[in-house]
Amino acid sequence: MTDLERILARVEKPARYVGGELNAIVKDWRRVPVRIAFAFPDVYEVGMSHLGMHILYHVVNSRDDALMERVFAPWTDMEAEMRTSGLPLFSLESHRPLRDFDVVAFSLQYELSYTNVLNMLDLAGIPLESRDRDDRMPLVVAGGPCAFNPEPLAPFLDAVFLGEGEDAVHDLVEVVRRYGRGNRDELLCALARLPGVYVPRFYRVEYAADGGVKQVVPLIDGVPGKVVKRLVRDLDRAPFPVRPIVPYLEAVHDRAMLEVFRGCTRGCRFCQAGAIYRPVRERTLKTLLDQAGELLRHTGYNELSLTSLSTTDYSEIRKLVQTLVERHRGERVNVSLPSLRVDAFAVELARAVQEVRKSSLTFAPEAGSQRLRNVINKQVTEDDLLRTVEVAFRAGWSRVKLYFMLGLPTETLEDVDGIARLARMVLDKGRECEVPKGRLSVTVSISSFVPKPHTPFQWEPQAPLAVLRERQSFLQGRLKGKNLVYRWHDPEASFLEAVFARGDRRLAPALRRALELGCRLDGWRECFRFDLWQQAFAETGVEPGAYAYRSYRYTDILPWDHLDTGIDRDFLAEEHARALAGEITKDCRGEQCTGCGLCPNLEIEPQLAEVGTGAAG
Amino acid sequence: MPRVRIAYRQEGPARYVSHLDVMRAFERAARRAGLPLAYSQGFNPRPKMTFAAPLAVGMSGCREYVDLELETEPDPAGVFELLRQNLPNGLVPVQVQAVATGPSLMSLVHRSRYIAVGDVPVGLDTGALQVGLKRFLGRGEIVVEQKRAKGVRRKNIRPGIYSLSARLDGDKLCFSMELKAGSAGNVRPDEVLAVLGKDLSLVPESFAVWRTALLSRAGRLLWDVKGDSIC
Ligand code: SF4
Repeated sequence: MTDLERILARVEKPARYVGGELNAIVKDWRRVPVRIAFAFPDVYEVGMSHLGMHILYHVVNSRDDALMERVFAPWTDMEAEMRTSGLPLFSLESHRPLRDFDVVAFSLQYELSYTNVLNMLDLAGIPLESRDRDDRMPLVVAGGPCAFNPEPLAPFLDAVFLGEGEDAVHDLVEVVRRYGRGNRDELLCALARLPGVYVPRFYRVEYAADGGVKQVVPLIDGVPGKVVKRLVRDLDRAPFPVRPIVPYLEAVHDRAMLEVFRGCTRGCRFCQAGAIYRPVRERTLKTLLDQAGELLRHTGYNELSLTSLSTTDYSEIRKLVQTLVERHRGERVNVSLPSLRVDAFAVELARAVQEVRKSSLTFAPEAGSQRLRNVINKQVTEDDLLRTVEVAFRAGWSRVKLYFMLGLPTETLEDVDGIARLARMVLDKGRECEVPKGRLSVTVSISSFVPKPHTPFQWEPQAPLAVLRERQSFLQGRLKGKNLVYRWHDPEASFLEAVFARGDRRLAPALRRALELGCRLDGWRECFRFDLWQQAFAETGVEPGAYAYRSYRYTDILPWDHLDTGIDRDFLAEEHARALAGEITKDCRGEQCTGCGLCPNLEIEPQLAEVGTGAAG
Repeated sequence: MPRVRIAYRQEGPARYVSHLDVMRAFERAARRAGLPLAYSQGFNPRPKMTFAAPLAVGMSGCREYVDLELETEPDPAGVFELLRQNLPNGLVPVQVQAVATGPSLMSLVHRSRYIAVGDVPVGLDTGALQVGLKRFLGRGEIVVEQKRAKGVRRKNIRPGIYSLSARLDGDKLCFSMELKAGSAGNVRPDEVLAVLGKDLSLVPESFAVWRTALLSRAGRLLWDVKGDSIC
């Protein structure tokens, strides 16, 4: 028996660590010059639900000269066993130590996974800081939404990839292939000159007396002052994994994922995804139907999820859903839509896909009053919501979930009360529609607003923890009653999320200290230790509130200003001003460009399915 | 409904998979293969499959069985080929046959055979091993504690140990056992190893365990599958 087998006998869910799943790709190492480990800093079940991983895995493994294997954050029991027996972190495919790879590529989805990044490096025996890694060590890179402000991780990362990875990963393979392992400095220089690649060590950050950033200075020739994101220009022809790995273990999203389009045109002002994935690019109906068929054939899943930021906005959604349902009904495939747009049409669609209305319907009004919904540009009215749930209740659904945020800019207690009022109106609708009392339920799910970089709210402070807690308990008091369910996220976790989302390089020592103190898997309630985080900040002389609560002026340099999503900063400032004035901004779907600057800046245009249909063949 | 009975091996990565996940893997393989599985009625239709006995996580199975109900009359050779092509790594079909409706597979299982192979504890020789075994089997009662949702349950496993033998093979120690199994009660090989572990100072987790056979009440093989030799 090997050490690993001995350990696996003692841990929970050992299948997390062994690989060998359907459609996993194991290549012969001797024949492949470039070896990349895709490192997801959360547990297997979360990472395997991430579409981006499946896409990059497919893209890299389609090349003859490169391979990609996977590694996830071990759960605490596995970590303890690995540390006791000295087993280094290894990949699932070939069970090789991470150190043997040329590149370890982290996906940064969420600020609370940063300790996992460091912990995985540590478990792999790879020095945490970029400057301590020599030629024998893999290159450590990162991508994903948090790459748009990776500054708290800057000392630990060799290179950061901004934007979508489908094309950039080819550049990475080629550069690594050209320079090999012996020329780390040249390799980094070459990477820094690639479009969309940010090499933190080639930029010096100078700080101002008021604690902010004074300037960010490129240190070598040929690296850009502003790194602009990469994106896929023709999504319809972009590679898509129709043979994704099918886990043995039940993943968080245990279903086939069809990416209908990328980007979102709604312009919600709090939403970072809506900003960083612009412009909207839809796949054609034909491509989607083909991909859906292949996906189901190669996976055997009985559910197909249409994943996009706001799937019901797809130009041909009705046709797509109808055709999918007709084609795959005989195979007992359920088509599923994630959170629904608040309108009757969306419910009609949900009706078309779910013959049995067993699950609940989810809507996200986000704020409790019309005034505040205008501030955040969430264009949903009370009437819309009530009419929509009425359709839903009459169609046979009995459970409705509503998502809201607390602590949005300009929020007052009245807005918070509005959440409770809305929930009760929805409940009343349910009674009016004679939904059986025993089954009727309205769930209110609350998270705390986190001001994110590159959004119109990037200048806004987060609401103080004390205020968030107070409003939560106020709301909880208002939502007591039969058929009402109240759910919430820890505001402490959202505070930490804000600190790191808006952070700069001076946070790195606190992150490192938090890891030493035992913080990891911070996104898991049972592991999150706010007391240890506070200790880490105190010991490293960091005032976290200075990050989360800072209110920026438009003239201030933001810690992430040298990283460019393609959207004009002036547009964001204008949107911010409009928000405070309660003015809404229309959707930019179709002809109505709202002038964010991205399309001209990146020389691209929104792509809608109707326009593209002819070109698909 | 027509039924097929499948004998398969569960090994490699699949030995770390829970019973529920194995069920899902079979369902997905059948869907990929286009096998016309029969489904239950109701809100949440499930494919009609019955497994002989769930295999514990971590253990390999040399002869596991599942019955699948199909909507059309199957051709066993065709089903075998489809499964061979579509089951994931670690689930390997050994033989397929059409079966008539009858008692459920589960109700047929009363005993299981296992082999467990691990490291020889320092200083253990054949003599000491046989003495230890004899002492173990000589006990009228061997009580193990099982953690349950409400407190601890004590269970005497001795009556469920039908046979137990051991031999030294180089630096390996091999146990063979036949234990009570099935819906009327179960003795697990790791329970036996845990108790033996105290007597012989061995580390139970360092043993790789194979379930080699599922047996009827009379101690006969459930299905005398031809094909390659056992494990
Ligand atoms: S430039 Fe116009 S069309 Fe393009 S993403 Fe911005 S607002 Fe939308």
